[in-house]
Amino acid sequence: MERVIVIGGGGAGTAAATITKRLNPALKVTVFTEFSDIAYSPCGIPFVHGREIPKFEDLFLSTVERYREDGLDMRMETVVTDIDLDRRTITTKNEPEGFDKLILCTGFFWEQPDVPGANLDGLHYVKDIRKSMEFDKQLDSMKRIVVVGAGPVGVEMAGGLARRGLHVDLVDEGPWVLHEILDPDVAKPVHDSLEARGVTLHLGTKTESFEGDADGHVRAVTTSDGVFECDAVVTGLHKVPNTKLAEAAGLKLGTTGAVSVDDHMRTSAPGVWAAGDVVEIPHGLNMIPIVGLTGAHAYAQGRVAAVNITGGDLAYDPVWVPWGMVAGDYTIGGFSMGENLARSVGVPYVLAKGVGITKARYYPGAEKTFVKLLAEPDTLRLIGGVIHGGEGVKERCDFLAFAAKRGATLYDLAYMENIYSPPIGALFEPIQIAAQNALAAQRENKLAIAT
Amino acid sequence: MSSLSDAKRNLRERSERALRLAVLSELGRDQPSTVEPYRPKGDRFWRMLFVPLYRRIPWSAKQRAMAALGMTAKGWQPPARKPGEPWRPPAGATPPAPPAQPERDS
Repeated sequence: MERVIVIGGGGAGTAAATITKRLNPALKVTVFTEFSDIAYSPCGIPFVHGREIPKFEDLFLSTVERYREDGLDMRMETVVTDIDLDRRTITTKNEPEGFDKLILCTGFFWEQPDVPGANLDGLHYVKDIRKSMEFDKQLDSMKRIVVVGAGPVGVEMAGGLARRGLHVDLVDEGPWVLHEILDPDVAKPVHDSLEARGVTLHLGTKTESFEGDADGHVRAVTTSDGVFECDAVVTGLHKVPNTKLAEAAGLKLGTTGAVSVDDHMRTSAPGVWAAGDVVEIPHGLNMIPIVGLTGAHAYAQGRVAAVNITGGDLAYDPVWVPWGMVAGDYTIGGFSMGENLARSVGVPYVLAKGVGITKARYYPGAEKTFVKLLAEPDTLRLIGGVIHGGEGVKERCDFLAFAAKRGATLYDLAYMENIYSPPIGALFEPIQIAAQNALAAQRENKLAIAT
Repeated sequence: MSSLSDAKRNLRERSERALRLAVLSELGRDQPSTVEPYRPKGDRFWRMLFVPLYRRIPWSAKQRAMAALGMTAKGWQPPARKPGEPWRPPAGATPPAPPAQPERDS
């Protein structure tokens, strides 16, 4: 029986394994994971800490037994220590196991702060649900938390822990939270919302060291803005692709340090695929490889690998990265790039800005939604955007990412059709308003090109 | 990793960081609720020389340079459709069979 081995039990690994087995039940599909659980949503962890989701058990989508019933060979809490591409074996528990095809889905680990004291007890990384369950119990007896890193997970954790009543200091070197994805014109409502929850922001601030007690537990964080006492530290820096196995096996890595794959998720070695946070994927606008995508991307890549491993021919497209989240109580999102990233890379753009409302103006609960679109100066083709405020941010960002991928322009968006239904949509769609504003500015020769 | 891969990765990390820091300062300057980013020591070359130089190069030339240096992805299809271009099946996909003609009454 032909054997497929999947290393990793996250979104990409579970998708690759289950879909491979479903498409070709004759294959023996084995999943190796170092963890005791599978098929849970780590993205939900901050919201359990914040008591917005009642319990961790709600985050589990399925069980190991269910996967076994579906015919998968599940090897839980089993670390793969080596891949031998010549012999077509992996090593686990000092024993080789043969494979015909291999899918590498080893995911990521969190960047560790590169300062003294980073190895102290009490530094928590949001990933393993069992560790988060333990941390959650400890939080009941804690009063002060320092969150290092104001990226998405840091912001979600800070907002959640403050909502739970803890004193939270959020420390980041950047000039506003989420500065790697968010533009500064959105900083104020986001900061206001986090501060309303009780988060104390320390921006433009470097973490210099972690100070421990005699038992080796962190008790304070020394920063360029002072010393903050704490009972624990939550770290939310960058996701780092877990390429240890891939690199040792000689697979080609890319400019981000992640595994390099083609659009069929094939690695540089025949018969070896990779998917999820361990790989880099090109951005649809400029084909520059990027990492740090979402669980939805990981699942979709796992599916592509599975289709191709079973004899199909499915390509994964370069990504236009729709993203969205709730920072404090304020909804923000975007796709592809905002002004911040466009200027950093040097992509010229014109802006289309507009403010609309989420429901009919007379319907209770209507809120303002702010739309900022970036377009190519000559063609007005959509290249990025940021949306914030109110309901529908996620749907608009999903739609715009798809529209950009298909080459939509501001002309298309200015005259798009839209739903007008008082409880869910106003007469004028906010995206239309932004695009029409840009066309009006263009008619008056007031559409400035930024670089 | 090979030394060439290391060099490419290092170049990308350092250049992105310098460009990002410069933009953060400029974009955030007049916006409420923002501060100056923390600046690490020893980035004078990147800040004073690389950033101004990079910005003087047109985007099309930058793209060509990135491709020539191997900084862009290989083995991927470019974005599927240009503005105004009609939809077409992905390259290599089997074209769908024409719909069966309904029998005509004669």
